[in-house]
Amino acid sequence: MNAPILRLGRAASFALLLFLPLPIVVIGATSFAAAGYLKFPPGELSLRWYAEAATDPRWIEAFGTSLGIAAVVSVLVTAIAFAGAYACHRLRPRWLPAFELAVMSPLFFPHAALGVALVNVLAMAGYLGSATGIVIAHIVCTLPFAWRPIVVALQRIDGEIVEAASLLGADERRIALGIALPLARSGLVTALLFSFIISFDEVTITMFLTGPQVTTLPVQIYAFIQENASPVLAAISTATVVVTLMVVMLLERLIGLEFFVAHDPA
Amino acid sequence: MRSTTSAPKSLGWLLLPALLVLALFLGSVALLLFHAFWVKDGFSLIYFRQILDRADYHEVFLRTVSISSIVAVASAVLAYPIALLLWRLPRWRNLLLVIVLVPWLVSLVVRTYGWLVILGPKGFLNETLKWAGVIQSPLPLIFNDLGVVIGLTHVLMPFAVIATLSVLLQIDNRLEEASESLGAGGFETWRRVVLPLSLPGVFTGLGITFLTSMGAIVTPILLGGIRQKMAGTQIYQEVVYNFNMSKASAWAICLLLLSGLGLALLRMLEAALVPKADR
Repeated sequence: MNAPILRLGRAASFALLLFLPLPIVVIGATSFAAAGYLKFPPGELSLRWYAEAATDPRWIEAFGTSLGIAAVVSVLVTAIAFAGAYACHRLRPRWLPAFELAVMSPLFFPHAALGVALVNVLAMAGYLGSATGIVIAHIVCTLPFAWRPIVVALQRIDGEIVEAASLLGADERRIALGIALPLARSGLVTALLFSFIISFDEVTITMFLTGPQVTTLPVQIYAFIQENASPVLAAISTATVVVTLMVVMLLERLIGLEFFVAHDPA
Repeated sequence: MRSTTSAPKSLGWLLLPALLVLALFLGSVALLLFHAFWVKDGFSLIYFRQILDRADYHEVFLRTVSISSIVAVASAVLAYPIALLLWRLPRWRNLLLVIVLVPWLVSLVVRTYGWLVILGPKGFLNETLKWAGVIQSPLPLIFNDLGVVIGLTHVLMPFAVIATLSVLLQIDNRLEEASESLGAGGFETWRRVVLPLSLPGVFTGLGITFLTSMGAIVTPILLGGIRQKMAGTQIYQEVVYNFNMSKASAWAICLLLLSGLGLALLRMLEAALVPKADR
């Protein structure tokens, strides 16, 4: 292929790539517009929408709820996934393929169907419209995403290290916490940060579970768009983008982003 | 971490929390079946019959399946060049990957809101076109099926980029070199070597985007019209406004069956198109 066509193709692909962050960039720009909407040519700049958002207790509360739920979910789901994946890794039960398929099965549910299913079970347990209910639902949804990176990390650990430790008298507790846990830390950090972002930004399933007592930031954004699309929404939305960006950059710095495009070695 | 020393069975206790989560999930699916077939206080097929009988419900499911199919194909086609670009530029891959991952991970309600701001009747695009004198009255870009397709395609494209890129990265560089040293040009190499090898990734992307689009609620409500219902919107309304768990569960089961059917058809298509050794 000759060079001009190649360059043209590359430019077109790059334009397509920039299409992905477009709506986020537009919202970011809107949030700084004094007029409250984007126009061309741009008007005066202002921080008034941020000031308005930061003084509205409803937004502060929803922001806190979302951060809190995401923190609890990510820690719990990472612990659950590590314990389970570690046991599977050491014991290698015959039913392992079936078990892993079951762990991954929520991924095969369209979100609307998963939402109804979780409403059914949480309503029966009396957790509908509570933070506990949302945490439980998010754990179910994020377990597959936490499981994968931890399994991959465990498989990379050299078996001889474990054997050596065992021969030198380390008990099972010591092997799990003193060897496997630190050596699998890339998987643990990926699981922790990945499940944090998913929980923080999840809306489709969460909107089945919120109530008058508790609501998350994305669900409240959704409710406000339907009521009145005030420019405060642009400021709030930009804040969620900043949280997401920060977590992605943290993951990039600590572990790298290869996990997302790595082929499952298992 | 394979070790010859046998692990004690007591490690099995560590599986308990994961098993509990799994039991909760399976329990919720069992309750879904129960609610769908047990209406008030007896076995009933009333809501399934309703779906089979009512023409307006046929239309909702038909729209859900057609929009999801269009969105899946559009995402796969638009994502392919992006994946190719990231694959071709290994030095820039990390930075470009951030540009793909951040929009993917940002809440879809925020991304959908962005499209409202851009495409709305008084949105950025219409106002700019008016200012430039291209149009007199705003173009109807949202509150119709077009808006839903644009929004969902954008929301789901990163999935397709990631699925395709992860397969492209598996391709052995030497295959390309061999093809070129045998006289094939860049396009010829892409068409005869890279494209067939990357098809499994394209199909994975098609499956994920189709499935996610089938279950979408927020984007269809915000960008579609009041009449442009998808199955997800109907389910959400039945749960939140009508408190009709039986009807919502019956709809969820139909949605699941249609999604499974779609994925099975995709599998068959993949089996027909992709040589076995590549899978």
